[in-house]
Amino acid sequence: MAIDRQFIGYSLPPFTVTVERERLRQFAVAIGGWSSGGDEDRAPPTYLKVIEGEDNSSRKILAALGVDLRRVLHAEQEFEFHAPYRAGDRLAVERTVSNIYERKAGELEFVVVDTLIRQSSGALVARTQQVILVRNAAPVTT
Amino acid sequence: MTGSLKFAAVGTVVAQRTFPALDREDLRRYAEASGDQNPLHLETAFARGAGFDDVIVHGMLGMALLGRLLDEAFPAQPLLHFRSRFRNVIPVGRAIVCKATLTASDGGVADLALAAATEGGPVAIEGSARLLVENIA
Repeated sequence: MAIDRQFIGYSLPPFTVTVERERLRQFAVAIGGWSSGGDEDRAPPTYLKVIEGEDNSSRKILAALGVDLRRVLHAEQEFEFHAPYRAGDRLAVERTVSNIYERKAGELEFVVVDTLIRQSSGALVARTQQVILVRNAAPVTT
Repeated sequence: MTGSLKFAAVGTVVAQRTFPALDREDLRRYAEASGDQNPLHLETAFARGAGFDDVIVHGMLGMALLGRLLDEAFPAQPLLHFRSRFRNVIPVGRAIVCKATLTASDGGVADLALAAATEGGPVAIEGSARLLVENIA
């Protein structure tokens, strides 16, 4: 089932995330260790994905677009780092579907989600881009 | 390692490390810590229903290993840009070989090509990174 292209430009309501030291510590353990340069309030680079995924945001986007979770794979992820952040910071997250396109005559659809992460002052921390692959032709069973 | 990026020739492998195989417990721990509870990484029945033999490793956990490779090799070089394309799934139970190759070095920044492959298997993640080599204070 093709995703309605009217969802290009769809944005979630912005949400805020407080960076917690304990979550950073858990994440560092879960990726098998993180030196953090001796500063335990410093996050690994891919922690930005955790921040943008808070508030169940990726699932909310897929649900809005009517995409079956079983057909979904993570195709690409990109981080552009503008300024450091640390535990205790309160970050604002804005996520927008910037593109939807297909390959192989619609067998594969790609949903591109752009995210801006800012300090509460408005200063840009990072831009990210997630590309979600929807496998429309994949045989899925319940 | 600080000088090595600045003076390395383009095409040089500047960092490489084989990470041990991940198991289901590792995926459960990552799911909890990251909030990515997609059952594809946790439930065998769901993964089979989606066309896979078993649960697959979170792409972002593979990317995190590339992040560790960079951090351990170049702790003093801030990351400016980091990108991954997830080309093949990473199965559980297979060691993961991560590698960074210098592709350009100019104007105080270094560009690296990144790859994460299951040992003896295909490249699962193809990526790139840009690091700040010279901090102009």
